[in-house]
Amino acid sequence: MSSIKEYLTNDHRRCDDVFAKMEERANSSLGDAKEITEKFIADMERHFQREERVMFPEFETKTGMLNGPTEMMRQEHAQMRNLMNQMLLAIENGDKDKFFGLSETLMILLQQHNMKEEQMLYTLAQQHLSADAQRIVEMMDSLVVE
Amino acid sequence: MEQAPPISAPMRFFATAPLFGILAGILLLFGNSEILTNRYSMDVIVAVHLITIGLFSFIMLGALTQMLPVLAGAVIFRVEKIVLFSHAALSFGLLSMVFGLLREQTLFVWLATFLLGGGFLLIVTSMLLAIRRVEHFTASIKGMLVSLSFAFLIVLMGIYLLFGYASHEITSLHYAVANIHSAWAVFGFGGILIIGVAFQVLPMFYVAPRFKQFCKRRVVYLITFGLVIWMFLNLYFEEYALYAKLWIVTFFWAFATTVWIKFNKRKRPISDVTVWYWRLASISLTLGSFLWVFDEFFQHRYIVMVGILIGGGFILSIMLGMLYKIVPFLVWFHLNGMGYMTIPTINEMMDKRIARIQFVLFVMALLGFVFSFYIGALLLPSAVAFILSMVLLEYNIWITLKIYLETKKRAPDFDMSAFGME
Repeated sequence: MSSIKEYLTNDHRRCDDVFAKMEERANSSLGDAKEITEKFIADMERHFQREERVMFPEFETKTGMLNGPTEMMRQEHAQMRNLMNQMLLAIENGDKDKFFGLSETLMILLQQHNMKEEQMLYTLAQQHLSADAQRIVEMMDSLVVE
Repeated sequence: MEQAPPISAPMRFFATAPLFGILAGILLLFGNSEILTNRYSMDVIVAVHLITIGLFSFIMLGALTQMLPVLAGAVIFRVEKIVLFSHAALSFGLLSMVFGLLREQTLFVWLATFLLGGGFLLIVTSMLLAIRRVEHFTASIKGMLVSLSFAFLIVLMGIYLLFGYASHEITSLHYAVANIHSAWAVFGFGGILIIGVAFQVLPMFYVAPRFKQFCKRRVVYLITFGLVIWMFLNLYFEEYALYAKLWIVTFFWAFATTVWIKFNKRKRPISDVTVWYWRLASISLTLGSFLWVFDEFFQHRYIVMVGILIGGGFILSIMLGMLYKIVPFLVWFHLNGMGYMTIPTINEMMDKRIARIQFVLFVMALLGFVFSFYIGALLLPSAVAFILSMVLLEYNIWITLKIYLETKKRAPDFDMSAFGME
């Protein structure tokens, strides 16, 4: 079983790949990109919930850090959800420029968010939650998205 | 963990940098083509420092102000005040240096020595102290640490050099120190910082394949080793300095080639002006590095051309390209964090058409400067092209800043005060 850090980092990379495919599809034909965009959003949502409903609460309980890194990550998740919804809207309106403007913004926000998680938060989480790592990973893996 | 500095800290540097570029261009406009052959003429020294301090250092320091806390968790003590003071000291110091050296006003050269030295040491030391507390060192953070260490030493050398001009005592050591000061500034401060940041930026912005671990772990130290050896050889065994140059150049050429390949393999299909800048940087670095070695066999006649290719073509290209991403993102990020949701996306903030024209003008200026070595008459139009490209850059930075300032005047869409954001 992979560690918390490995598990969530792999998720990041998978989402990165889908993101790139989504942009490629949208670049050739915006209308055709609706399906893959929905897949991207679904993958991201699953990842967010793995963090927000499993890993973050475990971390917050263990460390007592309620208003710390996890809170900031939640806020950025909210910003990203907002951007992704707007992207779907842009596809429905056939607005290619708007779509790419949003994806560019999302990309940078997402990447610096991921970097903070991978380089700081996940390492911290791994250290504090090492005893429960396997259980937490299993919970994240079997999560049903709301 | 919300440790991003207030937007004024990096913006102060970014918004003023192109102004110094414009000033450098104006100075070159009134210079003559001889300046491209004599690196120690006052005209060259002044123009070079307007660009290396006013453009490069300002952009690098602005970027570090943002990256150190956000990417490395390295909080800079009292960042807003420190940036305010060092930016002011560096700006006035630089202007004093220009005026003092060109008009032979000793008082201003003294002032420049004090302000530039003090301004740099203040901010570089603060950043080094902040990095000391970092627990998890990535390759990029190592790059930042090493580059800042070089910056520290380069500044000490710079103080020594300016002191020589202020006290009218140019020793024989002066020229050796000047040589080391310039090579270390380009490769040690600029080059290493760019390499370190590229490790994050290429995958981050372009979904390019990550750099290999063995590269990331070693390359910064290998280059440092080369630069230190080169210094000793330069001082004591000049005939062998070539070998150290070859060592350094090999790694930079490898970096330039790797960047080119990574861009070919990137997954994001978008080809915007920033991709063009990275490509330009790659080519210029390769040409410039080889010329630096080649120059050894030609009594250093080509050193200014080397400076143009590596300084202008490599370092400046990347700085400009990255500004087009960082500035809009900073504005968006800070506004969004304060609860503003209905704001332009980062693509919509700057004028893309103007950015493309800016790029073309920049390339024309670069080529023009390189070839004015052979055709003196090219210097004037190149300077004009350079000035125009800097004006267009400044325009784009300002319209983005205006979006920030205008948006802040209205009430946010969401009340984020509970989250303690700005």
